Amino acid sequence: MQTDVYLIGTGQTRFGEWWGKSLKNLMGEAVDAAMEGAPCSALDIDFIVVANMLGETVSGQAHLGALASSFLPHRPPAIRVEAACASGSVALHTACALLESGRAETVLVVGAEKMTDAPTDAITTALMGAADGELDAPSGLTFPGIFGLIAERYMHEFGLTREQLNIVSSIHHRNGVSNPFAQFRQEIPAESIGASPLVASPLRLLDCSPVSDGAAACILSTKFPGKFRIAASQMSTDTVSITERPSITSFSATKDAVVRAFEEAGAEQNDIAHLELHDCFSIAALLALEDLGFAEPGRGIQWYEEGGSMTVNGSGGLKACGHPVAATGVKQLIDIKKQLTASGQRWGMTHNFGGAGATCAIHILEHAYA
Amino acid sequence: MRTPDSPSIIARAQAKRRDQLLEGTILSFTTVTHPPKGFPEKPRTIGLIELTNGKHVLAPLLIKEGATPAIGHIVLPRMMLSRVNEQGLRIYNVAYELTERVRMPEEAERQKFPGYILALTGPSGVGKTTISKILTHMLCDFTAGVPIVTSREKKEGDDNEYQYVSVKEFERLRRSGDIVSWTRIPSDTEDRFYGYRASDIASIWKEGKIPVVITEMHLLQGLATHFGRRSILSCGLLPPGHSKRAMLSQLLHRMRTRGRETEEQMQERLTNAKADLRFFDESRDLFDHILVNEDLDDVVQTLKGHVLALANV
Repeated sequence: MQTDVYLIGTGQTRFGEWWGKSLKNLMGEAVDAAMEGAPCSALDIDFIVVANMLGETVSGQAHLGALASSFLPHRPPAIRVEAACASGSVALHTACALLESGRAETVLVVGAEKMTDAPTDAITTALMGAADGELDAPSGLTFPGIFGLIAERYMHEFGLTREQLNIVSSIHHRNGVSNPFAQFRQEIPAESIGASPLVASPLRLLDCSPVSDGAAACILSTKFPGKFRIAASQMSTDTVSITERPSITSFSATKDAVVRAFEEAGAEQNDIAHLELHDCFSIAALLALEDLGFAEPGRGIQWYEEGGSMTVNGSGGLKACGHPVAATGVKQLIDIKKQLTASGQRWGMTHNFGGAGATCAIHILEHAYA
Repeated sequence: MRTPDSPSIIARAQAKRRDQLLEGTILSFTTVTHPPKGFPEKPRTIGLIELTNGKHVLAPLLIKEGATPAIGHIVLPRMMLSRVNEQGLRIYNVAYELTERVRMPEEAERQKFPGYILALTGPSGVGKTTISKILTHMLCDFTAGVPIVTSREKKEGDDNEYQYVSVKEFERLRRSGDIVSWTRIPSDTEDRFYGYRASDIASIWKEGKIPVVITEMHLLQGLATHFGRRSILSCGLLPPGHSKRAMLSQLLHRMRTRGRETEEQMQERLTNAKADLRFFDESRDLFDHILVNEDLDDVVQTLKGHVLALANV
C-alpha cells in the first residue's frame, strides 16, 4: 500500500430474506451501523463506493451511487462498481485506490444486494450474467452447473469423494451457529448434505450458498488511524468463460492475487490466523485453499478433515451466512476484523471472487496492536 | 428475466457454430436439475468438451437410455433444438452425442478388459442367426452362442437359441442386474423383450471360448457399456443392395422365403429394419467391420479369420 489505510467503521444487516426491506433500506441500515461505531462524523466521508450486481434486474434500481449518497447530509461524490460476486471486495479495492491517490481521505464502502424479491429461476438467469453470455450461457448452464462441472472434474482428477465433500458445508454451518448475522444458524450433519436434492450433479442443494438479501458497510480512512490496517488489497482477473481456460480445477486469478497480496503485506501463509474464503459452492472452498497456497493441489479437504491452526470461514462462510452477492466481499472484511479482535492475532485474509474465478480480490487485514 | 435472446444476439452467438461440428472428448459434465428459464423444463446434462481442434466448448450431451457419460468419453456433434425463444424462434444448437469410445490410457483400459465378445448386428432377415450357427458349429472349440433370454412366445423354426421367460420374470432378471443388456422390440402384436445374461457370457469365457451374440442397436450398446467397447468385436451385417430400398426388398424376400413370420409381423420387422439401417449410418463407431451378406460362405470365412485371430491360433 502507498499509504496506511485504516478500517475505522464496520456495520451490516443480518443476511436473510427481508420481506419488508428494499435495496435502499438495506443499504441505509448498514451505513447507519458502520457510522455508529466510527471515530469520524458523517461529514468526514468524502467519497462513497457502492457495490451491487443485480439492482436493475431484481429491483429495477440503477444509479446506486447517488442513492447511497442521499443517506449523508452533504451528498459526497459516489460511484458504483460491479464485478459479480466479487463486487464487494472490488469496491474495497477501489476505495483503497482513491485513498492511496489522495483523492479522498475517508471513504464509505457499501455492498448491498436484494435477491429474494425475484423467483429462483429469475435469479438463476440473472446470476448467469456473471458468466460469458456467448460461450457459457447458450448451453443452458447455470452457476451451480458451472461448479458442478468443476466438482466432477476435481473428483475425477483428485479422487475426492462425495462423503468428503459433505464435510465442507457441514463445518461452515457449525461455524455459523454462533454468528448472529448469519442467515442459517443451525448445525447440519454431513450426511444431510449428501442427502439433499441434486441441483447440478454432483452438487446438491446444501453444497450451494443460498439466495439472500443483505448489506454490509466499511469505512476506510487515511485520516483517522485505527487498530486495523489494510495491509494488502489486490485483485486479478481471468477469462470469464471456463471454456477458455486450460484447467478448471484451479483459478489462476486467485493464485495471481494472493502472490501479490502477500508481497504487498510482507506476510506469508503461515502468518494468517483467520481466513474468510469464498465458498459459493462447497467445492470452491477446496479450490480456494489450494490456490491460496494453504494446501497442495487436491489436498484442500485435509483442512476440513484434520483442522489447522488457521480458522477457515469462522463466520460460517457464504454457506451459512448467506450470499447477498455484492455484500459478501465487504462482510468478509468485517468478520476478519471481529475474529482478530477476539483472538488478538495479527493477520487475517479475505478471499472473494466473481463468476467462476474470473475476478478475484484479496485483502489482508493487520491488527496493528497485536 | 430471461437469457437475452433477440434474433441478433442469437445470430452472433451462433456465428461460429460450424466450428463446433467436430469430435470431442468429455472433460467434465453435470446434470442441471432445473435449467434456466426458456430451456425445456427437464434435467439437462451439459458437458465441457475438448474438440479435436483443441478448443473447449460447453454444450448439452445427448444420452441414450441406459448410457451414462464419463470423463474421457468421446462425443460426436449433432444439431439439436435447444430452446424456443419468446417470439417463437426455434433455436438450434450443437449438442454432442455419447459414443462408446473412451479416451483413456492403454494400461488402464487393459486392466479392465474382461475378454472378447463377437457381436453380430443387422436387420431382421440379414442372416445373423444362420451365420452364428455355422460359425459356432464350425469353430465349436473356440466359440459358443450365448442364449437369448426372451419374453416372446415360442415359434416354429426356433432352435435352442432362446430361453423363454415370462415378461414378469424378464423384468425381475433385469432389475436384479443379471440381464446386463436388453431391448424391447416395438410391436403391436406381442410384448417382446430380449436380453443377455452376464452369467451366460462369463461361463463361456470360463471355458476359454469367445461368446457369440446376436444383437440389434440397444443390445449392442448395452453390451458395449457393460463390458467396454473394446471387448466387443462388433460386426455389422448388411443385406446386399446399392440403396436402402434395394436392401429392404432383399430382406423382405428372405423373410418370405424362411416363412417364420406372418405378413403383419414382416411389415413390423421391415419398419424396425429401417431404423437398424439408420443406426449403421449414425453409430459407425460401434462397428469394427461392416460385412455385406451377399455370399454366406464369404461372410463366414471372414468371421472365421477374425475369430481365429482373437483366439491366437
